[in-house]
Amino acid sequence: MCAPLAVPMLAAQQSAEPAYESAAALAKGTLFPGLDLPFMDYIANGPVEDTPLAELMALDFVCQELALYLDTHPDDKEAFKSWKSFTALAKEGRRRYVEMCGPVKRSDTAMFDSWVWPEDPWPWNNGKAGKK
Amino acid sequence: MFVYEKKLQYPVRIKNPDPAMAKYIISQYGGPDGELSASLRYLSQRYSMPYPELKAVLTDIGVEELGHLEIVGTVVHQLTRNMTVEQVEKAGFQDYFVDHTAGVYAQAAAGFPYSAATIQVKGDVIADLSEDMGAEQKARVTYDNILRMCDDPDVIDVMRFLREREVVHFQRFGEAMGIATAKMDQRNVYAVNPAFDKMKK
Repeated sequence: MCAPLAVPMLAAQQSAEPAYESAAALAKGTLFPGLDLPFMDYIANGPVEDTPLAELMALDFVCQELALYLDTHPDDKEAFKSWKSFTALAKEGRRRYVEMCGPVKRSDTAMFDSWVWPEDPWPWNNGKAGKK
Repeated sequence: MFVYEKKLQYPVRIKNPDPAMAKYIISQYGGPDGELSASLRYLSQRYSMPYPELKAVLTDIGVEELGHLEIVGTVVHQLTRNMTVEQVEKAGFQDYFVDHTAGVYAQAAAGFPYSAATIQVKGDVIADLSEDMGAEQKARVTYDNILRMCDDPDVIDVMRFLREREVVHFQRFGEAMGIATAKMDQRNVYAVNPAFDKMKK
């Protein structure tokens, strides 16, 4: 049978594998080599930066990419397993980051002795991550 | 409910002020195909979406777009902080400066303020998802055009990241369209709008 007419169609991604490792995924803007389609020669050259913040960003980014994939592939058990393990890594990474650099979520402030939530750096200031 | 995270999705570290660049990058903050349009479009379309997978796609992409709004705002802020009046004049940035100084205001590159007239919420599954796929392409082209004009590697790197996200989101909306139409009448997907008409069992 041929495809019905006047129905918008786009090929679905077949699998969440292969995938870049987390730092490369963040630098490229996608976890998936098949979706890595840069403009001209604007290609990511290497990891973003080597900071605890960038490390956390990379783990959170992989979680986001897998989550969007899972939204349209809810039956992909392998991808779900992978999302679960990255979510655990991100949670642990976040705990270490907060201890070192300050709260990410306002509720993280409960780990501190005083109301440090308003303290710099806020994300739009280009402060070096990692005070205290 | 939304919970704020005190970090960007992607790092922005711009060393040199350049109001000439801020002048056109502001369009991805408050312009027709910018990140405010994107987040408002997806987060608003959710309410009339009948299928769970589509509610999830619109929510998760809409929230990410709010994160992109923050990234673009950060880029404009870092391009305009510490600028001198001489730099303002040399860049032809006076029109913006006179109204907003070094603040970040939601407007298009051509100067008109953000308008929800640039987006649509049609309340129809196929129409809304078609708009979303088109929107991702238009945003992708805007980043292409920004990249053509940018000469600061600190800015290029961020624009390149945001552009790639449009490609990924386009793919997800395309897959969402496939999921939606598979659930609809296979002989005529236009027979009813499942977001409004009661489906016969």
